[in-house]
Amino acid sequence: MSNWLNHQLQAIRLVLARMQDNFLSSFMICLVIGVAMCLPSLFYLGVDNLSKLTDHMQNETEISLFLKLDASKSTVSEIDALLANNAAIKQYHFVGKDEAWEQLQARSKESNEVGDVINQLGKNPLPDAFFIQAKSSDPETLEALRSELQNTPGVEQALLNTEWAKRLSTLLSLSKKLIFFVASLLAVVLLVIIGNTVRMQILTQKDEIEVSYLIGATRSFIRTPFLYAGMLYGFFGGILAILMITGMIQTFNYSVSQISHLYSSDFSLNLLNGKLYLSVIVSAVVIGWVGSYIAVTRAIASIKIH
Amino acid sequence: MIQFDQVTKRYPGSDEVLKNVSLNIDAGEFVFVTGHSGAGKSTLLKLIAATERPTSGTVLIANQNVSQLKASAIPFLRRRFGLIFQDHKLLYDRNCFENVILPLRINGIFGQEAAKRVRAALDKVGLLHKEKAMPITLSGGEQQRLAIARAVVSRPSILIADEPTGNLDASYAADIMAIFYAFNQVGVTVIMATHDALGMSARQNRVLHLNQGKLSENISTAESFAS
Repeated sequence: MSNWLNHQLQAIRLVLARMQDNFLSSFMICLVIGVAMCLPSLFYLGVDNLSKLTDHMQNETEISLFLKLDASKSTVSEIDALLANNAAIKQYHFVGKDEAWEQLQARSKESNEVGDVINQLGKNPLPDAFFIQAKSSDPETLEALRSELQNTPGVEQALLNTEWAKRLSTLLSLSKKLIFFVASLLAVVLLVIIGNTVRMQILTQKDEIEVSYLIGATRSFIRTPFLYAGMLYGFFGGILAILMITGMIQTFNYSVSQISHLYSSDFSLNLLNGKLYLSVIVSAVVIGWVGSYIAVTRAIASIKIH
Repeated sequence: MIQFDQVTKRYPGSDEVLKNVSLNIDAGEFVFVTGHSGAGKSTLLKLIAATERPTSGTVLIANQNVSQLKASAIPFLRRRFGLIFQDHKLLYDRNCFENVILPLRINGIFGQEAAKRVRAALDKVGLLHKEKAMPITLSGGEQQRLAIARAVVSRPSILIADEPTGNLDASYAADIMAIFYAFNQVGVTVIMATHDALGMSARQNRVLHLNQGKLSENISTAESFAS
């Protein structure tokens, strides 16, 4: 056991020393890995934050229930009772047609053109309306509630204000699938890059491999340092990727906070996404291991000792 | 210790390099393998060191049949040998100490124990003071001595040397031979391929002579070999 551990430590030390000797080229490889890891991560972060934003918006949505223009007072109170008894509704409020008309007129005074048009209308075109907030924020439940209300007698139209948010979130889930494919493609690219790098190293250390073989080294003894090399490339590449992502989020957040300030929201990108960072590093290390394993197995098979 | 029974070796696309070779080497022997270039000396040594397998016949090393060994068992068989090559096969990207420690690492020996054994091996070949030197800065004879240090550091019971003095002038060659004799004295089996009589000095040695893949055996002194 301690022998095994010693061997692993020895191999890691050897690989780190070699990386230090060829610092610039090792750094370049790590940089390539970092950039390749960075792209899908940023994409993911963007989509993830956007979908959080739309969730947020969907939470705030309400159903607007417009009654028929000729709805009588009794119809209004019937619907009022119906809404009060509906278990899916958190709260609602009624805006009568006269109240709405006054609000519209008051608001339109600020703009002359709109004010003129409204004055020309002469009589009130607005219906009575209920504005309803549901308990659930789930789009499908909301949609069910909407169609239930739509079928209530005396209702002209029930409008769900989340239509656009729903479309956006559908688009976002599509983007999430796209990320998966982009990430898979980049993983293949990384496999090839790391595999090739390790293959080049094997070529430069062909003598050592040959001599080790003759002296009685096992395959795993020869393989171990190269596997660590691949894993360490992945590890350092992953760390570079995280540094780059953090840097970019920092700059982004500056502009994002300006924008969200304009919309009086406190939205900003999450800087410490531990899960993402961990998965970046773990996947980079795994890709490094697989890439070098393939390369070293192929290379060992091709090195013949005579 | 080493037994060949009717061993034939043929490389793909070549004639038989070894024809029907049978031999028996006991522990503690000092055996020369002689013959012209291409007579099959190197092939014989490779069969002993288990870096090649026989086309037909059996090779027994310490009662293990090499042809029937699993590939995964071969490395452990090889650790019984110390191999010395004509071209040294030193690693020029590291210093003498690091070159000699390689077999110990493969054997799983680390730390103080390893360092102690490396220095002992370097001392035996007279290179203790060159521990930190890079192999490329050494003379031909010193490089060969370094290769011997690497071969003996893991204390193998058999030393196999393929023309260790082939590239060296007479005085260096005598140095090298003296080192091999010293190891043989303490019980190490030495098998050495050579084509020059110089190395064999005046001692009586067992000589395996290969001629176009066929083996003939005689006890020889330098005089009889030269004639």
